[in-house]
Amino acid sequence: MATNPSTYALSQSSDSKQRLQQRRRLFQETEWTRSDGRSFHQCRPAFLRTGAANAASGSAYAEFGATKVIVSVFGPRESKKAMMYSGTGRLNCNVSYTTFSTPVRGQGSDHKEYSSMLHKALEGAIILETFPKTTVDVFALVLESGGGDLPVIVTCASLALADAGIMMYDLVASVSVSCFGRNLVIDPTSEEEACQDGTLMITCMPARNEVTQLMLTGEWTTAKINEAMELCLDACSKLAEIMRSCLKEAASGSS
Amino acid sequence: MVGLSEGEKRFIRGGIAQDLRTDGRQRLHYRPISVETGVIPQANGSARVRLGATDVIVSIKAELGKPHPLQPDKGKVAIFIDCSPTAAPMFEGRGGEELSTELSFALQRCLLGGRSGAGAGIDLSSLVIVEGKVCWDLYIDGLVVSSDGNLLDALAAAIKVALSNTGIPKVTVNLGASPNDQPDVDVSDEEFLQFDTSGVPVVVTLTKVSRHYIVDATSEEESQMSSAVSISVNRHGHICGLTKRGGAGLDPSVILDMISVAKHVGEQLMSLLDSEIAAAEASAEDQ
Repeated sequence: MATNPSTYALSQSSDSKQRLQQRRRLFQETEWTRSDGRSFHQCRPAFLRTGAANAASGSAYAEFGATKVIVSVFGPRESKKAMMYSGTGRLNCNVSYTTFSTPVRGQGSDHKEYSSMLHKALEGAIILETFPKTTVDVFALVLESGGGDLPVIVTCASLALADAGIMMYDLVASVSVSCFGRNLVIDPTSEEEACQDGTLMITCMPARNEVTQLMLTGEWTTAKINEAMELCLDACSKLAEIMRSCLKEAASGSS
Repeated sequence: MVGLSEGEKRFIRGGIAQDLRTDGRQRLHYRPISVETGVIPQANGSARVRLGATDVIVSIKAELGKPHPLQPDKGKVAIFIDCSPTAAPMFEGRGGEELSTELSFALQRCLLGGRSGAGAGIDLSSLVIVEGKVCWDLYIDGLVVSSDGNLLDALAAAIKVALSNTGIPKVTVNLGASPNDQPDVDVSDEEFLQFDTSGVPVVVTLTKVSRHYIVDATSEEESQMSSAVSISVNRHGHICGLTKRGGAGLDPSVILDMISVAKHVGEQLMSLLDSEIAAAEASAEDQ
């Protein structure tokens, strides 16, 4: 099954968005349909656009189902005076949530865990030697949290970095998989995430076949990890295609 | 950061390539581990673990609290790690904050399992006293006393030992007349319940230096790493958590290889810790 998953369709239509049904389901059953009608190995339609914020050096907006994220990249600009001299560039990442991003009104504060995960996912892809003594700031704002937030943030941030013209080895694409009993469900929504048994998130550079960051929770057998990783990597490479076509479109439109 | 000359760096890397590290260990060998339990009398459970020159203390306190409204049948566990400036001058002020939060999150991922509680090392439902009303809040506080690399493995081992040393006071509950009343809870000073720690995993960090990977890296070796993967393995050989540090990317096949190595090493570490815990308990009883 993992050899030929139908993860992403190469279209950017966002019209198939459906209202999330609030019904609880018994996820442990072997057969159930997902609330938005997708199959287990099908991702939400990805909508990506560059140039979302004018003031930034580069920016991108991503909408994966109900998850909406905007990322701005500033710099490279001079590092703060207090910083020690560095022959390579610095990367500063920050992820924050809006107060209205979740069903219950949140604090709207910084998300430290995601900020450090975003940093670790991107630092391996950026050629930091190309901007010594300077800092690149990546600010991500989650407008609406609809599940799989971190993968969307990472994907959107790498697109914003590309839009800003920061040198990278490759685009970073990210996809997560949830585990329910014996089932693997790709690109979970937040209601699915709330009852998952475990999750695996992979951020990778598909052209180099390198994993820059991965995170796993829950209890997994090796065979299951193998299957989930294959599923993620396949989805990542297809997502990278969509990202690439989005950048090409933006480049041809502006010229 | 560790200041190393070019020659020393080459020496470390060359040694790792030849499977003979600077302290005479092989790539997959741990440093001698020493375990002490009951080091903090005020806590419900505590342990000190020394792994070479790395020295950590973990204390566990249980307090009565209220379950989260969304999860009324579960207790709460919080893990905090503190990197004290006594361990290294760079931990002073906010310097240790980044490392502390990173370690705390990594341990939470490894020990607390998935959102539904599957694969959790600590069974949260065993902490409930009255469903929806009263539960135990378990505070796990780790302190880094001295740091010489491989903090995550040492802290995870210390948490495992401390949990096996933890006694939760026995409680008697007097339910109020109406179901809305907050029940009366009587905490016993004498009787303690032991905590089931058979499901608590061990964490094995594999540090990649050039083409090889090593376990239990010292800070000198860590300064030469390209990336490190921390894998938590439980008694059944299942993987309970995985985190990666360091910027360099890894080939997916290398990660799978690392997982199988970690499973093997984790088994050995688990049985070593079990015998250390038994020895520490025996010596505590003698005193």
